[in-house]
Amino acid sequence: MKDILYKLCSADGISGSENEVFETACELLEKYADVRQDINGNIIAEMGDKNSDRHIMLDAHIDRIGLVVTYINDDGFIKAEAVGGIDLRTLQSSAVTVIGKEKILGVICTMPPHLSNGEDEELSKDKIWIDTGLSAQKVKELVSLGDSIIVYSEFRELLNNCVAVSALDNRAGCAVLIKCAEMLYGNNLPCRLSIVLSVQEETSELGAKTSAFSLSPDEAVVVDVGFAAQDGVPHEKCGEIGCGGIISIAPVLSKAVTDRLINISKRLEMNCDYEVCGGTTGTNADGISAAKGGIPCGVISIPEKNMHTQTEIVSLDDMEKIAELLSVYVMEGGVMNA
Amino acid sequence: MLDYELLEKLCKADGISGEEDEVRKIILEEIKPYADDIKVDNMGNVIAFKKGRQTPKKKLLLSAHMDEVGFIVTDITNDGCIKFSTVGGIDKKAVFAKYVKIGKNKISGVVNAKPVHLLKADERKKNPPIDSLYIDIGAKDKEEAEKYVSLGDMIVFDSPYENKDGRIIGKALDDRFGCLVLIEMLKQDLPYDMYFSFVVQEEIGCRGAKAAAYTVNPYCAIVIEATTAADVPFAENEKKVCCVGKGAVVSFMDRATIYDKEYYKLAIQAAQSVGVKAQTKTMIAGGNDAGAIHCSRGGVRTIAVSVPCRYLHSSSGIISTDDTEAVFAVVNKTAEMILSE
Repeated sequence: MKDILYKLCSADGISGSENEVFETACELLEKYADVRQDINGNIIAEMGDKNSDRHIMLDAHIDRIGLVVTYINDDGFIKAEAVGGIDLRTLQSSAVTVIGKEKILGVICTMPPHLSNGEDEELSKDKIWIDTGLSAQKVKELVSLGDSIIVYSEFRELLNNCVAVSALDNRAGCAVLIKCAEMLYGNNLPCRLSIVLSVQEETSELGAKTSAFSLSPDEAVVVDVGFAAQDGVPHEKCGEIGCGGIISIAPVLSKAVTDRLINISKRLEMNCDYEVCGGTTGTNADGISAAKGGIPCGVISIPEKNMHTQTEIVSLDDMEKIAELLSVYVMEGGVMNA
Repeated sequence: MLDYELLEKLCKADGISGEEDEVRKIILEEIKPYADDIKVDNMGNVIAFKKGRQTPKKKLLLSAHMDEVGFIVTDITNDGCIKFSTVGGIDKKAVFAKYVKIGKNKISGVVNAKPVHLLKADERKKNPPIDSLYIDIGAKDKEEAEKYVSLGDMIVFDSPYENKDGRIIGKALDDRFGCLVLIEMLKQDLPYDMYFSFVVQEEIGCRGAKAAAYTVNPYCAIVIEATTAADVPFAENEKKVCCVGKGAVVSFMDRATIYDKEYYKLAIQAAQSVGVKAQTKTMIAGGNDAGAIHCSRGGVRTIAVSVPCRYLHSSSGIISTDDTEAVFAVVNKTAEMILSE
């Protein structure tokens, strides 16, 4: 699991530029499934009985948040805007990688403390500038408007089998589905299975909505990251790292799918936490559940600390358990077999 | 060309004020074959002497500091989080969401605060106050965290280092660059005898330099530093202070020192005579060990020559190798000009 996750998180691919992670994901999946890419860039891996009248879709979004180059000034500084809900507070003096003709290391510009109001300085999404330290000529040669920028981070292992790196939202979910494919490989599935690594969740949920429409599954389960317990997070909105996963309960979700997820988690002696939402879930399930004539949908999340920062943290143990839960879900043929 | 591999090694070494051991070890190994005398004083300053071709009338001290800004562990909470205090004038708005290494075993951790989704709209536009931050090492509780981390442990940034296309990005360029200049001078044939001090605790009040200046008792001193460049797109002209790529920074005054006027002019002349760029600061900002050295004993004629560095007290500074070469040339020439008088 660690190896899969490391490979996925080392790849670029902000929303709209998921092609940069396509090869990595393909290499990991094609051992177990037939992999293709649809017109939106979604990666679809098919397994099981293609002629089955039961079709399960497992979805995880593969895009990561980042920045996009919007302007280059005469001194070679790069102006950027956010792609997805980047946390502005994390950007000050952070190292970034500009994905131009070459990958270029840079730093987000800040005013030195003696010239700014320090901590009180108002953050603005209109003031994101990137300094590569290179000459304007070199920058203009290597970087074009529209190029992606990701906040730099290296994979770090913490205690208790936790890892920290950016893009765990939602490469961790993708890793879970790839692990699930590995677990299912070689088994006779009682259904058709489509694993979708979907694009542009962070901006519009485009990938999940379109792939759900095209694939038209009978049911779907979405894997994303959810809030882990940490200082300042209300108990009802989170799950403990190490709990095994957070199962969502929400009006937009199918009770049958949710109950089945809960049932399997109990049989596997997982100690899952629950997140109850009053309406939508803030995940791809919102789009999938209303696709076509409606698709029964459930959500299970990997508890994650520091969401939408370059220091996201998840537990590899939680990821393993969720992969196991989902493979049981598929092997049992989902809720249609209930 | 300066030995940039050595600069990388120096910057990658970890050493907040009071914990300069790793840096000192590298310096001692490097200078041992070249210095005529080396002492490590009670504070941990390295004081070296090297004979030149001539013994000058004046005693010159060249000084750079070994310590870097960072943090220190002040508490471990019941849920296993590490609370910390800053060590040195760290850029407080640039601490959140950074990777760090803690203690001698270099335990990985990240600096956390409440996640953005749970903040009110106005809170999202503000930097989290430094005292609301904590470090997560993945520990379940206090008991587990205490197995890996102790109160007083050093914390430093864990950030990338890169030297490419004429610019360097990394932590601790302030002032491992100065240490590099001193080491490189010690490795050369010198025209005159010179003293060198690699000092501790600059970032918490120029404490090492005070002791070193007392011990060496020089007539004059050159401090080699990295200084704030604020030449970012949203800074107005004079507020840029100095600019990366525009050469060695020789300042006439900062918040700690009014520099020796003759030496200030001499340093500018030195740059011209060796054909490298030099600039001065356009604001009275910052301060360095000159503040402690120039008032040592009965007074020491002091000048500072610095490399301009953007994002100075953060996890990732940026300097230009044109500027680093310029500083080295200016320091050499200025020293020679002062001592030939």
